[in-house]
Amino acid sequence: MRAVQLFVTCLVDTFFPEIGEAMLSVLRSAGTDVRFPEGQTCCGQPLFNAGLRAGARRIAEHTIRVFEQAEGDVVLPSGSCTHMLRHNYEELFADDPAWRDRAGALAARTYEFTEYLVDVLGISDCNAHWDGPLAYHPTCHLHRGLSIDRQPRTLLANVRDAEIRELPEAEDCCGFGGIFSVEHPELSAEMLRRKIANLEATRSPTLMVCDAGCLMHIQGGLHRNRMQQKVMHIAQVLAQA
Amino acid sequence: MTAELFRNHIRLSIADTTLQAALDANAERRGRGRAAAFASLPDWRERRQRAHAVRAQVISHLDEFLAAFSAKVVENGMTVHRAKDAAQAVQLVLQIAQASPHLALKRSEESQGAANKLFAKSKSMVSEEIELNRALEARGHRVVETDLGEYIVQLRGEKPAHIITPAVHLQRRQVGELFQSKLGVPYTDDIPTLTAAARKVLREVFLTADVGISGVNFGVAETGTICIVTNEGNGRMVTTVPPLHIALMGMERIVPTLDDLALMLSLLPRSATGQKLSVYTQLIHSPRRPAETDGASERHLIIVDNGRSRLRDSRLQEALYCIRCGACLNACPVFREIGGHAYVGSDGSLAPYPGPIGSVVSPGLLGLPNFGQLAQASSLCGACQDACPVGIDLPRLLTRVRAGDPDRAPQQEGTALSFVSRIGLQAYGAIASSTRLFAAAQRLGGIGARAVSPFAKWMWLPAVTGWGYSKDFPRPALKAFRARPRDGDASVGPHPDMHDDAIKPWTRIVNPHAGTASTALERAAAAPESVIAASPVDRFVHELELLGGHAYRTESADLTQRVLGLLHERRIDATLAWDDVPEINKAQFKAGGVKLVHAADPALRAGLTGAALAIAETGTLVLTSGKGRPLSTSLLPEIHVVILRASQIVWSLEEALQTKEVREASAVVLVSGPSRTADIEMTLTIGVHGPRELVAYIVE
Repeated sequence: MRAVQLFVTCLVDTFFPEIGEAMLSVLRSAGTDVRFPEGQTCCGQPLFNAGLRAGARRIAEHTIRVFEQAEGDVVLPSGSCTHMLRHNYEELFADDPAWRDRAGALAARTYEFTEYLVDVLGISDCNAHWDGPLAYHPTCHLHRGLSIDRQPRTLLANVRDAEIRELPEAEDCCGFGGIFSVEHPELSAEMLRRKIANLEATRSPTLMVCDAGCLMHIQGGLHRNRMQQKVMHIAQVLAQA
Repeated sequence: MTAELFRNHIRLSIADTTLQAALDANAERRGRGRAAAFASLPDWRERRQRAHAVRAQVISHLDEFLAAFSAKVVENGMTVHRAKDAAQAVQLVLQIAQASPHLALKRSEESQGAANKLFAKSKSMVSEEIELNRALEARGHRVVETDLGEYIVQLRGEKPAHIITPAVHLQRRQVGELFQSKLGVPYTDDIPTLTAAARKVLREVFLTADVGISGVNFGVAETGTICIVTNEGNGRMVTTVPPLHIALMGMERIVPTLDDLALMLSLLPRSATGQKLSVYTQLIHSPRRPAETDGASERHLIIVDNGRSRLRDSRLQEALYCIRCGACLNACPVFREIGGHAYVGSDGSLAPYPGPIGSVVSPGLLGLPNFGQLAQASSLCGACQDACPVGIDLPRLLTRVRAGDPDRAPQQEGTALSFVSRIGLQAYGAIASSTRLFAAAQRLGGIGARAVSPFAKWMWLPAVTGWGYSKDFPRPALKAFRARPRDGDASVGPHPDMHDDAIKPWTRIVNPHAGTASTALERAAAAPESVIAASPVDRFVHELELLGGHAYRTESADLTQRVLGLLHERRIDATLAWDDVPEINKAQFKAGGVKLVHAADPALRAGLTGAALAIAETGTLVLTSGKGRPLSTSLLPEIHVVILRASQIVWSLEEALQTKEVREASAVVLVSGPSRTADIEMTLTIGVHGPRELVAYIVE
C-alpha cells in the first residue's frame, strides 16, 4: 500500500478543513495509506510571491524538515502550493546547494491531488455521484504552471449524473494572486467580476477549482454580492458517493 | 517610494469606459489572431524552445556577438556607434545629422541653408526609451512619427500605449476628432478615410525628410544584416527615400545567423499581429551602391546600452531575451484592465515599456526604486509566459523584481509592498515557521472570529483592508484540520474501509499519460492548416490571395498583353518600371500605349518589377536592390505589379535567406501582401504608405 503524506496547506487547514477531509476520504478509498504529518504549516508561497524571500525561506526550511520525517508521496489539494514546492523552492535555495538538494528531493515526491490520482494511482473514475451541473475553472498555477488539466477533467468526466458545463474564458485568471488581491484590490476586483460573470453565463450553481486560494477569493466575491453559487474543491465532489 | 500614483492611474483606467472597450477589443482580437496564426505552425513549441536557446546563447555571449556583428556591419559599409546611455544616444543622432556630407549636399541643392532638419521616424521603442523626439525638438528640429499609431499619439502629445499598437487606447471617433483639429480635414470616423488622410500628409514628409530614423528588430551577427519589420511601409520609406538613415538598436537584439533570423521571424509576427510574416521584412546590408538610384547614401547604426549591461548582469537577465512582440501585453489580464498609460513609476513618469515584460524591463533598465512597483500589479497567472514566443519565465522574473536586488540592497525585499502587507506577512512568516505558534494562532483565530462573526461563515471586511474591497473573508474553522479526528488516526493508519469488500474497485486507466495538457494555443495548433498545396506555385498563389494580393498564372507569350490589360483597366498610361522586367516585351508595351518610366516619379500610380525569389509558405515576394532595380518602384505607387517565373518560388523563408541574391544585395525587402495597418481599433486597413494593390504574374 502506497504511503501518502497529506500536505493540506495552510488555507485548507485553517479555513476549509472539510476539503482536507474530502481529500482524505478519496485517497483512502483509492487504496493508499494516508498520513498527516503534524508538524506542517504552510509552504511559504504567500511570502515568496510578495518578494519576502528571507521569510519564505524560513517557512520552506520548516516544511522540508517536517516532510523529510515522513516517507512516501506528498500530496496537496492545491496547484499553486504544488507549484511552489516543485518550482519555486529551487529558486529560493538557488545559492545553497545543500538546501537545494533537500528541496529537490521533496519536490520529486510531491504531487497535486488530481495529478496523483490520475497519473500516479492510475485512477480515472472515483465512483462519485453528483446530481446536476458543474462548471470547472482551471486555476492558473495548475494548468499553466504545472500543465495539469487533463487529470481533473478526466476525473470530472466520470462523475455520475454530473453535467459538466464549459466555463467561458475558463483559462483567465480569477484575480486572486495572493498578496496581489490585497495590494491591488481594484484590479483583482475587475478580474473577479469577469470570472463571476462567466460563471453566471454557465447557469451552473457550482464551480469547481483545485485550489483553496482561488476558492476563497471567488466564493468571497459571490458572498459579497449575495449570489447563491458555491465554489467547491474538486475533492469535495469526488468524495460524494 | 509610493505606489499611490500608480494606483490612481489604475483606478482612472478602470473607470474609463472608452478605454475599457478599446482594451477588451485588443485582447480579444489579438488573442484570436495569434491562435489562428500559430495553427499554421504545428511545431511552434519546438520552435519556441529553440528560440529560447538562441536568445540565451546570444545574451550569455553578448560581447562576442556584438563585436562580430559590428565588424560585419562596418565591413558592409555602414557606420557603427555605441551609446552607453540615453544622453549619449541622442548626442550621436545630432552629431551624425550635423556632420553628414549628404545632408550638406541636399541643403545646398535646396538652398535652404537652415540648420533645422526634418526627421522622418519609423517605429522604434528604443527611441521612446531614450526620449529622442523631445531632445530633437528641443534643438529646433522637426520629428514626425510615420507609423500611423505613433503619428496619432504624437499628434495627441502622448506616448505609445502599447509597444506594437501605440494607439490601442483610442477609438475611431477620437482619431477623427484629432485629425479634424490637427490636420484640418473634415470629421469622419471612417477608418480608411482617416488612414488616407494620414498617408497624404506623411507622403510629403517622406519625400522631403533629411533624415530617416528607424529601429532594428534583429541584427544578424554572421552577415551584419539589419532586419526591420513593418506593415505600413513607413519603415521602407525612411530607409529608402531620405539620404541619411540612422538606425537605433537595443544592444540585445542580436541573432547569430540568418537561420536563426528565419526562426525568429516565424514567431515574431505571429505573436505580435497574427501574421505569418509582416508585410515588409527588410534586410539592410549597406548604403546605396554606386550604380543604384535609391536607398540611403549613408547609414549609421547606434547600438544602445542604456542599462542593458546592468540588466544582463542581474537576476533579470532573461528579460533581455524579449523580441518585443507585445504578445504578453495582449494576454495579460492586468494590461487588459489598465492599458499602457497606467504603468507609471513612483515619481509619476510613464514606464517606457508596459505590461508584464515592461514590469521587468522598466525597473531593470531604469531602476527598482522608481519602477519596481509595477511588478506588484500581477496575479502571477502565467498567461504572459504562455504567450511568449521565446518562453521567458515572466512570473519568475516578476517575483525577482518583487524580491529586489539582494546584492545592492537586501532591505529592498518586497519592493513596493504596502507597510501593512509587509508587517502582516512578516508576522505570518514568523508564525508559520513554527508548528506550535501556527496551531495556537489557528485556535485563537477560530475562537476570535466567532466573537466578531458568531453566525455568518463569511465575514464582511472594510474596503481599506484591500480584501474587503470586493469580497468577504472566510471565518477560520473552530477546529482546524490538524485538530480534527481523522477517524481516530493518532498514528494515521490505513482506512478501515480499505478491507471492506463492499467497496467497488475503482476504474484504472490503462495509460495514465494519454492525452496532453492543453492550453488555448495548443488546441489551436492541434488543427493543422487544411491547405497544404501540392506544389510551391499552388501554395504561393493560395497564400498571396489570403493576404489580399492577386496571383495569376500565365504563359510567357501572353504576359505582356495581360499586364497591359490590367494597366488599361486602371486607366494607367505610364508606369514606373525596373530597367529590365523579365518576360516583358518592351516594344509591345510601347505599342500598347503605356510608357515605362525608370526614374522615380512619386506621381505615377503603378510600379512594374520582377523579383529575386518568392516564398510559397508565406506568399512572399523577395525583392533585392541593384542597378536598374530601385526599391522605390515597389514602394511609391498604389499598384505594384510583379513578374515572377514559377522556378523562382521556393518553399520556405529559411531557403530564401540562404540564397546568394539575398545575402549579397545592399538591401532586400520581403513583401507579403499589400501595405496594411490595424492601428485604429485593430481594424485591418489596406494601403497605407506602400501599395494598396499587389498583383503577381507567374510565368510557367
